[in-house]
Amino acid sequence: MGLLHLPIPVGQQRLPALGCFFNPFSGFWRNAEPQRGPVLRSEVQLSGLSGPVEVVYDERLVPHIFAGNLEDALRVQGYVTAQHRLWQMDLSARRAAGRLSEVLGERTLELDRLARRRGMVLAAENAVGQWRRSAEGMRLLEAYCAGVNAWIAQLSPADYPIEFKLLGYAPEPWSPLKTALIVENMAETLCGGENDLLSTLSLQQFGRETFDYLYPEWNPKQRPIVPDTGQWRGIVGSLGGETSASAPLPGRLSAQPPSEEYFVGSNNWAVAGSKTQNGAPFLCNDPHLSLSLPSIWFQIQLCTPEMNCYGVSLQGIPGIIIGFNEHLVWGVTNAGHDVADWYRLRWADAARTRYTVDGQEYPVRWRVERIGIRGREPLIDSVRYTIWGPVVYDHQPEHPLRDCAFRWVTHDEPHPNSMRSFLFLNTAKTYEDYREAIAYFDAPAQNFALATRQGEIAMTVQGQLPARRREQGRFLLDGSQKASAWAGFIPNEHLPALRSPSWGFVFSANQHSTPPSYPYYYTSRDFDDYRGRHLHDRLSSLQAANADSMARIQNDNFSRRAADALPVLLRLLKREALDGEGRRWVEELERWDCRYEAHSTVAPVYEVWFDTCYVRTWDEMLDDSSRQALLLPERWRFIELLEKDPNSPFFDRKDTPERETASDIATDAFLRMQAFFKKYPEKRRPWGQFRPVHIRHLAQIEAFGRTVEIGGHPTALNALSSTHGPSWRMMVELGDGVRAWGIYPGGQSGNPGSRFYDNFLNLWAQGRYHDLFFLKKAEDLPASAMFARQTVVPR
Amino acid sequence: MKRLLGIAAAVFLLGLTGAAGWLPWWSLAFWGGLAGWAVARGAAQGFWGGFIGGLFLWLVFALVRDFDNGGILSAHIGALLMGVPRWGLWGITGLLGGLLGGMGALTGYQARAFYRHLRQ
Repeated sequence: MGLLHLPIPVGQQRLPALGCFFNPFSGFWRNAEPQRGPVLRSEVQLSGLSGPVEVVYDERLVPHIFAGNLEDALRVQGYVTAQHRLWQMDLSARRAAGRLSEVLGERTLELDRLARRRGMVLAAENAVGQWRRSAEGMRLLEAYCAGVNAWIAQLSPADYPIEFKLLGYAPEPWSPLKTALIVENMAETLCGGENDLLSTLSLQQFGRETFDYLYPEWNPKQRPIVPDTGQWRGIVGSLGGETSASAPLPGRLSAQPPSEEYFVGSNNWAVAGSKTQNGAPFLCNDPHLSLSLPSIWFQIQLCTPEMNCYGVSLQGIPGIIIGFNEHLVWGVTNAGHDVADWYRLRWADAARTRYTVDGQEYPVRWRVERIGIRGREPLIDSVRYTIWGPVVYDHQPEHPLRDCAFRWVTHDEPHPNSMRSFLFLNTAKTYEDYREAIAYFDAPAQNFALATRQGEIAMTVQGQLPARRREQGRFLLDGSQKASAWAGFIPNEHLPALRSPSWGFVFSANQHSTPPSYPYYYTSRDFDDYRGRHLHDRLSSLQAANADSMARIQNDNFSRRAADALPVLLRLLKREALDGEGRRWVEELERWDCRYEAHSTVAPVYEVWFDTCYVRTWDEMLDDSSRQALLLPERWRFIELLEKDPNSPFFDRKDTPERETASDIATDAFLRMQAFFKKYPEKRRPWGQFRPVHIRHLAQIEAFGRTVEIGGHPTALNALSSTHGPSWRMMVELGDGVRAWGIYPGGQSGNPGSRFYDNFLNLWAQGRYHDLFFLKKAEDLPASAMFARQTVVPR
Repeated sequence: MKRLLGIAAAVFLLGLTGAAGWLPWWSLAFWGGLAGWAVARGAAQGFWGGFIGGLFLWLVFALVRDFDNGGILSAHIGALLMGVPRWGLWGITGLLGGLLGGMGALTGYQARAFYRHLRQ
């Protein structure tokens, strides 16, 4: 009987208890939804509603909620979101809270420990503390939470999403803190990264002159989001120079192999009516995030007498994050500014309980984290907090950051209205409403694109961005001086912004926000260098745009980077060193249009060649086991050096007596590329098969994921890596009526046993869209397109 | 034979009370126990009666759900369990149901026999 009742450990995995799992009444079979779709009750009772709410589900399972007021709409949003995505909400909140190990056991312990030590929970607590200062905002958030909890309360264990059954735990009530944790999750993904340590190590290794040679911050070919039109004249921004910690660092960095290119990005643009076929403004947005099942986004329409808004929401957050209403449309991309710094501490005692700043001693504050671990005693972890932030790595004696405190913008108390920022945007009607709504938005900083029915287009880089001295935060900072602190934040009126420019479009693709003439210094882990340039070129030449031409831009597989690098590499290549096959490949490369199409057999050849060149060049930055020990120069700088400084000493390999040049590296890399394909003939496939795109299940349950073989590349507008890509493609035209198209790689249901789990995926992979149902009233949905209708009434 | 089929029918019908999903998975063994106590006149008869009843109950419900679902979920679960085919999942489900019903009925019969032994 034990075999039937207890989970069965297989290696690190736990198979569910067989009796529970196979019981057709409450086990996994119960989650096998009828082929038609989920059975939704036609009437639902919900406490706290002020009046009945109509929910119509269209044929794609998108709920359209018609309520008498915003509070009721959000209450029902919470209910329907939980109905379809409950486990995903639970997991996301657990990840940020450092509570994965409670259900997954020891294998996620380090992940949890890091989340706690980086102050994710503290940040969420601070956020909720501030949100409570806005009574109206809190009322709306609590209505959303109550909606989620109403769904959870009526569930029997038999009705739990299948992941709860597989992992053997039960859902918990939702709370404002969990919503804040979801916000922190996004912040961690989008603004939690920096290069401070690697930059510092590289500066120490190479000295200032070489450092500047290898790592310039501004790419002269760059097309920034907001150009200099004289709008910053007279603003005094960054003052003075950096205050970095100069003492050598202890320990070594245990870094990743260099081949994995960091990539999280997005595109958005708005085009004025002067450039469109119908004379109406157009806005497009495709956020490139980790592709997952269930999908990160959930489509929804919220309609009240005051607003009518459609778009995608994030599970656990009330309102719509990217979308449109009858008056305007907005979209976001990540600003990418570095808002996380490390401060080197000067300890006043050996036990590291006191530290000095400007000669004055301060005691550390302790925060005790109790991390529950399934099948084991909990781990009690005491984390030191300083005036700068938590000391994240002091539990790892060999870690170079063990004496550093972490200063992250999300630890700060946000504006009490920060949670309502998107709700204000959902109800906005004009440019002024939009600016007012996003002014409350703190982090992660975003590029907010806008188009309005009045014909305005706009772009604003919005968020809490530190007002830095020059290069402050590029390297580790000296935590023993108060002067190292950020001098506040860039004032809202000085944030880069663009309103209806004469050239008729605004755009962003995670590139530099501004040219170097912007008066405030900022830095980034990795600004885009290619998508922005190509997008600018495409939008500049765009005329009479319509949905087809916009879709072609979103699905454009052309790589500006390949177009920059390929002619240079071909010029450097010593053809006399190649055999017949090599010369044939060169001919193919010469004919290649630099498009990463799924069927391209040349793209993998170029990709391996370029990557090999890159890694072979930067042997100085790799340690003995070929892992990255120093900051790798950006790819654009690498291509620039290939072109302009082919005799740079960095092209010389440390492991050979000869002195190599860029030409030697390019030739050697080509031969290695050939050898690679000879050794692994199964890799000699078209691009789509060479680099399949994995849309993984959130708990990495392989059987619940999907793989597609499609084109795209991180440097193309159709920005796809093997794990990241356009998580929501949206195009909206604001003409006499609103026309909107959208798609994401997944489905509305979080249930792998539903046909709505991944039913959008094939269409998305083909670069096609759904014509979205933007309804004025519930009756507007054609009967043929209706899946179900629910009336939610007050209990 | 009649008794064997009677046990099977009793287990099947009593087991239907679990359809709402509120009862624990082992309730089937409990119903088997009742049927075994009340009807069985031999250990083999008790076991096989319960087995047939449990097998049919779980198998029928698994089949109904799977066909209604078009095999979407069973494909995922099969892949999760190292490539078990759809019919394999039906087989495992039926077998587990059968074992539960059968073991329950056998236990019921044995308990009654023990009780009688004590009274004698």
